[in-house]
Amino acid sequence: MPTRRRLLAATAAAAASPALAACGEQAGAARMTKQARRVPGRRVNLVFWTWVPLQKAVALWNKHNPDIHVTVQTVPANTSGGYQKMHAALKAGDPPDLAQIEYYALPEFMLVRGLTELSAYGADRLKDTYVDWQWQQGVFAGRTYAIPQGSGPMGFFYRADLYDRWDIQVPRTWDAFRQAAMKIRKRSGGKSYITAFPPVNAQWFASFPWQRGAHWVRTEGNTWVVDLTSEETRQVADFWDGMVRDKLVAPIQDSQSSFFKGLQTGQIASWLGAQWQDALIRGNAPGTKGKWRVAEMPQWERGEHASANWGGSSTAILQGTRHPREALKFAHWLNTDPASIELLVEAGYGWPSVELELEKSPLGKPDPFFGGQVYNEVFQVSDRNVDTSWRFSPTTTQSYAHIQDNSGRVVAGHGTLQDALADAQTKFVDDLRAKGLDARSAR
Amino acid sequence: MTPSSTRRKPAARRRSARPDRKAWTFLGPFLAVYLFAMILPICYAIYQSLLKVERSGPLGLGEPKVTFAGLENYTLALEQTAFLEGFGRVLLFGAVQVPVMLLLALVLALLLDQVKDRWAGLLRATYFLPYGIPGVIATLLWGFLYVPGISPINDLLAELGFQPDFLGYDSVLWSIANIVVWEFTGYNMLIIVAQLKSIPQELYEAARIDGAGPWQVALRIKLPLVRPALILTCVFSIIGTMQLFAEPLVLKKLAPAVTNDYTPNLSAYFDAFANANVYLAAAKSVLLAVAAMVLSFGFLSLVGRSRKEDR
Repeated sequence: MPTRRRLLAATAAAAASPALAACGEQAGAARMTKQARRVPGRRVNLVFWTWVPLQKAVALWNKHNPDIHVTVQTVPANTSGGYQKMHAALKAGDPPDLAQIEYYALPEFMLVRGLTELSAYGADRLKDTYVDWQWQQGVFAGRTYAIPQGSGPMGFFYRADLYDRWDIQVPRTWDAFRQAAMKIRKRSGGKSYITAFPPVNAQWFASFPWQRGAHWVRTEGNTWVVDLTSEETRQVADFWDGMVRDKLVAPIQDSQSSFFKGLQTGQIASWLGAQWQDALIRGNAPGTKGKWRVAEMPQWERGEHASANWGGSSTAILQGTRHPREALKFAHWLNTDPASIELLVEAGYGWPSVELELEKSPLGKPDPFFGGQVYNEVFQVSDRNVDTSWRFSPTTTQSYAHIQDNSGRVVAGHGTLQDALADAQTKFVDDLRAKGLDARSAR
Repeated sequence: MTPSSTRRKPAARRRSARPDRKAWTFLGPFLAVYLFAMILPICYAIYQSLLKVERSGPLGLGEPKVTFAGLENYTLALEQTAFLEGFGRVLLFGAVQVPVMLLLALVLALLLDQVKDRWAGLLRATYFLPYGIPGVIATLLWGFLYVPGISPINDLLAELGFQPDFLGYDSVLWSIANIVVWEFTGYNMLIIVAQLKSIPQELYEAARIDGAGPWQVALRIKLPLVRPALILTCVFSIIGTMQLFAEPLVLKKLAPAVTNDYTPNLSAYFDAFANANVYLAAAKSVLLAVAAMVLSFGFLSLVGRSRKEDR
């Protein structure tokens, strides 16, 4: 009997031990950043998690900096696994030194204290090299937490050959866009659509209210205010409701095989996309070389140049690194060194975060895929007209997923986008509150 | 000690005191792993489900603190209609899929029992084969068979004038059910077959002498005697249904109808890993475990009661 009692006691103690250990439960990252002392002559090793193929630029760095070696480890893109992995690594106290984090996800990582505060390591001195609004994506309460890499100004990719054949003008306004959509359906004999409407892509869809001047998220004092039902957003939702209802758009998810097949065959005659999608179209519809052109997004008011942004990444230095100084040095070099940028542009990483002289950059060359057009001139105009006061909440991944859950249903023929957004707004606020934040609906 | 007591004591001792130490030695390795891999994580999950993060500073971006939340996470989870709808969905799924699968497994097992031994082995292996394929791979394979434009099944049905939408809002649940049936029928069949093998031959002989045909043997001897196996497979299936995860997660890429809260398990997963709220996820996991337990034990007591009534 005594043995059994002892065993029971031991079991109870073992069962209680996680409870005791968890008293030190961390709300976010388990390990804080601390600069390790540099030992002269010893190489510093940095690990960099990314899904952008920037190995060439990193190889260049490693060649010139034998004392700071960067190892690229490829992780799944953003929410399809990359961020999950980063959150787990932060919680476990074993994160990589550097990570690719998109602008919209930075507030989420801030909330778990997953980013190293870089102002302490002299990051603020680097500010003037970068485009201000992109730099601001990594600034919270006046301190800097990430080095911007690139953004995604929106434009209108279209098949010039098809528009010519059907004798359709490139739409300059959303009214004209709808007219063109109807003509395309008719003149292609029902084979083509003006664009695909991805059933579940809230980042893509958000660019339209953004262009209209809506602000889905803002802050008042310490409160997050969610506004998916403003007049601007309703107008945009109403427009797309009409397009979906009248079957003027193809319900095809972007960046899937059937989407690329549509681009290749002309089923999708144009696409409202971000600058970085040039590489995707080029790579996945090689048969259409020379037929594409780029124009500005259609406008709500004739003659305007309103634009929006889709995507954009930063090079963040995660909480827990032992080499923040070296990591910052590398992150700054990666995103500003002309030789590095040239390699990144080749890899299709987006619109640079540094002030750009287009004529001198590889981005400013006439491109045979786009029929010799210097198509990035269009994106430069777009970039300058992005409403940079758009903000992201610390729950974007989850809250945009609610929008997608609802929009998917709309595209399948159930309900309207307007109602879908109104419903998502309630869930959006709940997400923020579940995180322990003050939040409310705008109306 | 009186002779009578010595006669009784050893038997009692054999059951309690003496074998204890040896039994614990043998049980030790199992218990150690069980404690480490089951009990501790469960305790930790329950503990975490009672915590929350308290935020401070401008916009809550200041120093966060982990504090005791009481049952807040549980009320929060139960207030989420999408999470509760997930439960409804898996219940509906189970109510249809489990009986279909077990009936199929039972019929296959009974048929196999009739087949000559040489063939039985081959057929058994064939039916069991899908279980050897990981759920993720199986779903990828079936995914290709569901996606319009790629699927030969869709093409074939289109020839016949049908326009099936396997991944639509009303149909994707049953497409998942189809995958699960395909995966697990063979496994459940094998459990039933094992039980059938353990039925003594004398019973069959006696039945034959009494003039029972193969139908009567199946219905009156085999069916009642494989009852324990059926109950076991049913409990396993109920638990498996509640934990539905890999299949919808993989199909999510192909079907917008599969939302983040499609099943309770998916909901907990996205809270923990996409939304970085492990405390809410822990509460959802505990709720899921409780629901699975209630259903399993509820089912067991139900069949237990009906058996007593039979007597």
